[in-house]
Amino acid sequence: MKARVSYILSKLLEFILTLLLVSLLTFAAFSIIPGDTASAILGPDATPEQLAILREKLGLNVPLYQRYLSWLGGAFTGNLGESTAFGVPVSELIASRLPVTLGLSAIALVIVIVIAYPSAILSSRKPGKTLDQVFSVFGHISFAIPQFVLSLIVILLCSTVFNYFQVGKYVEPSKDFLAYINCLLLPAFCVSVPKIAMTFKFLRASILAEKGSDYVRTSKSRGLSDIKIMFKHILPNSTVSVITALSVVLADLLGGSLVVEQVFNLPGLGRLLIQAISRRDFPLLSGIVFYLATMMVILYFVTDILISIVDPRIKMGEGGQ
Amino acid sequence: MHTFETFTNNILEIKDLSLNFKGNNPDTLILNHLSFSIREGEILGLIGNSGCGKSMTALSITGLLKSDAQIKSGSIIFNNQDLLKLNDKEKRAIRGKEIGMIFQEPYTALDPLMNIYHNLEEVLIEHETLSKTERHDLIVKMLDRVGFTNSEEILNRFPHELSGGQRQRVLIAGAALLKPKLLIADEPTSSLDTVTSCSIMKLIKSLCDELNMSVLFISHDLSTVGNFCDRVLVMRTGEIVDSGSSFDILFNPKDAYTADLLTKSKFDPKVLNLTFNTPDKDAEPVIKVSNLCAGYMDRKGFKRVYKNILEDISFNMLPGEVVGLIGSSGCGKTTLTRALSGLINPKSGTISTPAGRLAVVFQDPGTCLNPSYSVYWHLAEAIRAAKINMTKEELKAKATDTLVSVGLEPMHLDRYPSQLSGGQRQRVAIAMCLMLNPAIIIADEPLSSLDTTSGARILSILSSINREFNTSILLISHNLRIVKATTSRVLVMNEGKIVESGNTQDVLTNPQSDTTKELLDAEITLHKNFSTDRLAIE
Repeated sequence: MKARVSYILSKLLEFILTLLLVSLLTFAAFSIIPGDTASAILGPDATPEQLAILREKLGLNVPLYQRYLSWLGGAFTGNLGESTAFGVPVSELIASRLPVTLGLSAIALVIVIVIAYPSAILSSRKPGKTLDQVFSVFGHISFAIPQFVLSLIVILLCSTVFNYFQVGKYVEPSKDFLAYINCLLLPAFCVSVPKIAMTFKFLRASILAEKGSDYVRTSKSRGLSDIKIMFKHILPNSTVSVITALSVVLADLLGGSLVVEQVFNLPGLGRLLIQAISRRDFPLLSGIVFYLATMMVILYFVTDILISIVDPRIKMGEGGQ
Repeated sequence: MHTFETFTNNILEIKDLSLNFKGNNPDTLILNHLSFSIREGEILGLIGNSGCGKSMTALSITGLLKSDAQIKSGSIIFNNQDLLKLNDKEKRAIRGKEIGMIFQEPYTALDPLMNIYHNLEEVLIEHETLSKTERHDLIVKMLDRVGFTNSEEILNRFPHELSGGQRQRVLIAGAALLKPKLLIADEPTSSLDTVTSCSIMKLIKSLCDELNMSVLFISHDLSTVGNFCDRVLVMRTGEIVDSGSSFDILFNPKDAYTADLLTKSKFDPKVLNLTFNTPDKDAEPVIKVSNLCAGYMDRKGFKRVYKNILEDISFNMLPGEVVGLIGSSGCGKTTLTRALSGLINPKSGTISTPAGRLAVVFQDPGTCLNPSYSVYWHLAEAIRAAKINMTKEELKAKATDTLVSVGLEPMHLDRYPSQLSGGQRQRVAIAMCLMLNPAIIIADEPLSSLDTTSGARILSILSSINREFNTSILLISHNLRIVKATTSRVLVMNEGKIVESGNTQDVLTNPQSDTTKELLDAEITLHKNFSTDRLAIE
C-alpha cells in the first residue's frame, strides 16, 4: 500500500511538472508568433499610436515573464482572459462547449468498447477463418472511409430511412437529458468508427498473443473451458496493453472532432477552435490549446494509475521486482 | 525405489498412436504407431531429443493438441475409457482432476495479473463444490506440502514476486491439489538450476509416493532419470527405440541410439573430442578483472538507490585458457557477463582486455537473433558494428568460412532464424562472435536451452575454436558435468562474490565452500547412478 501511495505521488509530481511545461510552451508559442492580439483586434489599417494605446490597455507592454506568470495564475484559477472575437471570458466559452465534446467523447468511447471487444473476441476464436476475415474487411473499411463521407451517409440514412434520431440539432443536457443523448448518438457513432477499427485490431492481436501464452496452457491443463479462460485470463491480460490504446483514443476524442461537429452542426470545441483560428483570437486559441493539453496530461496520469492498479508487475517503489 | 512387482495395474495405456500435422508429408508421422503403458504409482521417464515427439505424446494424452495436429490412429486408455473418443467436456472433466500437468517454463506458466491464491483456486472451482474456506485451507495445506513455510503469505504474492523454483512448486501444488492419478511433467526442471532442480525432483518423487500418483516424466536429459524414474522409454522421431528399467537403460542400453545419447549426456571429453589448449602460464592475461563491483539503479519510493550485485570480483584469464564459472540462479553470473561485455558500467574496479575483443554467447538462441533477418545479415552485422571495412566479397567469404567452422553449411547463410533448430541458432550465435576473431568468448549457459545432442555439439565446437584460434573461453553454467568436462580452472560464485576458485578437479573433488558443496550434493542426488563415478577423478 505504501508503495502504491508513493507511486501515485511520484506520478502526481510528474503530472504537475508536465502541466507547467505545457503552460509555458503554450504561452511561448503564442507570444513568439508574429502579430499580437492588439494587431489582430485593430486590423491591418491601425496606426502605431492606436496599437500602442491598445497594447497598454491589454497589458502587452509588461515583460514576457510577468505576463506568463499572470496568465499562469489565471489559467489555474479558470481565468484565461477574454476572447477578442466573442467579447466574453475564454473560460466561459470553453465551458459552454464542453458538454458537447465531453458527451460526444464518452458516448463514442462506450461505442468503441461495446463493439470492439465482442468483435475482437469472436474474430480471434478462429484466426484466418471466415468470421475473422469478415471482421477484418469491416475494420479496413472503417479505417479508410473519410469521416465526412461516413457522416453524410449516416445523416442520409437516418433522416430518410429511420426518423428516430435528431440530426443537425443540439439540446443542452440541463434542458432535456434524453434529447441531449439523442442528438449526440449519431455523431458519436461517426467519430467512433475509425477508433473501433483501431481498438479492434489492437485487441485482436493482443488476445491472439495471450492465447498462446503459457499460463493459458496451464489453465487448459486444469480443465477450464475456452470461454472461462477468455474471460478470466486472456481478456484482463490483453486489456492491460489495450488501456494505453484506449487512452490515445479518448485523448483524440476529447480534442473535439472538427469534421463531425461541422457536419452535424454541433457547438463543440472543434468548431470553437476553427473559429478562434480564423479570427486570430489569441486568448481563445491559447485557452483551448491549454485545455486540450491539460486534458491529455490528466488522461495519461489516470492511465498510468489505472495500469498500476490492474497490473501488479508495474514497478511501484519497493514493491517492484 | 519401487520394484516391478509393486505395479500391478496400468493406469494409462497408449496403443498404436499415430499423429501428424495437417499438410505434412503423410509418410513422416510425428508419432509413429506409439504403444506404451504407465503402471500405477510408477515414475516413467520419456527421454528424447527436441522434436522427437515427447511433448506431442503428453499433449495427446491431455487432449491439448493444437488444431493442426491430427490423430491418425490408436487409442489412449485411461480409467477404462479411450481419451481420444471423449468429447470436449468429458476431456475437461479429466484434465486437472485426474491428470495433472506441469510444464517447462515456470516463469510464464502463472497468470501474472492474479495472486497465487487465485491462480490455484480455479482448478478447485472447476472440479469441486467447496466453500471458500475449504478451498483456502486445501490450498494452504498443499502449499505447505510442496515446501513453503509461509504459505499464507505466499497466497497473496504475485507470480513475479517468486523465484523460478518457487513458481514451479506453486504449479506442482496446483497440479496435485485434486490428487490426480497421473501427473505429466514436461521438462519440469530444464529451466532451473541444479540445486533447485534437485529439490523439485525430490518433491515430485515424494508426492508420487504419498498420493500413489503415477508420473510421466518427460526430459531430454538421460542423466536425471536414474535416480527418479522406475522405468525409462527412449524416443526418437516419433517411435520408442528403447525401454527398460532405468538401471538397464543407464548401464545396459540395448539400442545404439540410447547408447549414443548416454555418451553425449555424460559429456565425456574423450568421446566428444573435447581437448583444449594448454595455456602458457607466463603469458600476459587476455582479461584482467580486479576488484569489480557492479549492480543496478533501483527505485525505493522516490529515491533511486544503487543495488550492488557484484562484490569485489577479481580474476585473470590466460590466452587459450578455458575457465568455468558455476553458481546457482541469482548468484550474479549474468550480471558479471553484462559487466564484462560492457552492457552495464562497473561501480568500481577495472576490467581490462589487453589482447583484444571479447564476445558473448547468450543463453537463449531463440530470442537472440532477429527473426526478420537472414543468418548472413547477422554475421555481417558484427563487422558493420565494429566499423571494419570489407568488400562484399570479403565479407561473404569470411561469413561462409565462419559458418563452416561452427559446423553449418554455406547454404545456411540465406536461412532465417525460424528455419533453424535451437542448436543451429546457437551455432549462428557463436559464429557471430567468431566474425571478429575475439580473444575471449564468454558463453553464458550456452547449452541450457538445448537438448543433449545439440549441447554436446556446441561443446565440441567451442573446444575446436579454442584449439584452432587459441581463444580463451569463460564458460558459465550451473551444470557441473559440463564444467568438469571442459574447463581446467573453475570459479564458484555466490551472492555476487567469488567464494572459491582453483583447478576444476580439485574444487569438485575437495570442495571448500558451502556453495560448492551444495552444488555438488545436488548434482550427485540428481544424477546418482550416473554421475557419482563421473565426478571422481579418473
